Amino acid sequence: MRLLPLAGLAMLGMAVLPESVWACPVCFDSSDENRQAFIATTAFLSLLPLGMVAGAGLYVRKRSRDVREDSSTPDSLD
Amino acid sequence: MPARGPAKREPIVPNGVLGMVIFIFTEVMFFSGLISAHTIVKSQAAGQMWPPYGQPRLPIEETALNSLALLVSGMVLVFTWFAFKREAGQARIPLLITIVLGGIFVGFQGSEWAALLADGLTMQSSSYGGFFYLIVGSHAIHAVGALVALLWAYDRLNKDELRSSQLATVSAFWYFVVLVWPILYWQVYL
Repeated sequence: MRLLPLAGLAMLGMAVLPESVWACPVCFDSSDENRQAFIATTAFLSLLPLGMVAGAGLYVRKRSRDVREDSSTPDSLD
Repeated sequence: MPARGPAKREPIVPNGVLGMVIFIFTEVMFFSGLISAHTIVKSQAAGQMWPPYGQPRLPIEETALNSLALLVSGMVLVFTWFAFKREAGQARIPLLITIVLGGIFVGFQGSEWAALLADGLTMQSSSYGGFFYLIVGSHAIHAVGALVALLWAYDRLNKDELRSSQLATVSAFWYFVVLVWPILYWQVYL
């Protein structure tokens, strides 16, 4: 039980002492313009594939609805 | 009474077009990565000269005119599609015009590269040169590939063997080449 305060102190030290840590070693720059460029390109590259997949999904859904409506019209029945 | 099998189902999107769309998605991400890297390197040079000192300037006006040829080729390809839908033979001339305009674009880009290399802008001269050749060169490779596809379509059209799904597939590739270019021009040249 004597180790508990020591462990708590060590934890506190680990939490307070280190400088800010960046998961990506090149994602930090003191220049504000560069930092904004990193944020903008990260957002762009994250959202673009989602947008493309969503767009493709919506298009396929619309096409399949159109095809279903065409096939259900009386003219197209044989 | 003959046995009736299940009704034949047509695909919502032709297989070739679907394959091309998936390929284009990957290419969009490829160019987005290049543009993002270029944006970051450019932002790192904030406060300094961009293009860097001693590097030749890109021919903005001439390339804008050349870009117009590419955009017009894309518009003519739209006419090609509608002409093909009316009657396949009517698509020959607009498809040929598309190929010629695309050839003009690629040819001018080649001559521009030769002039820039002579002026000292190389892959190794600066990150500016490196990005220019990487981004514009990647686009040029795609343009040449799409031109080859259009020539293949033109050959099949002359033999009356071109199907609408094939024309749609090669057209999708050319539209990608046309539509991605203004973004690259804005990012790299301006």
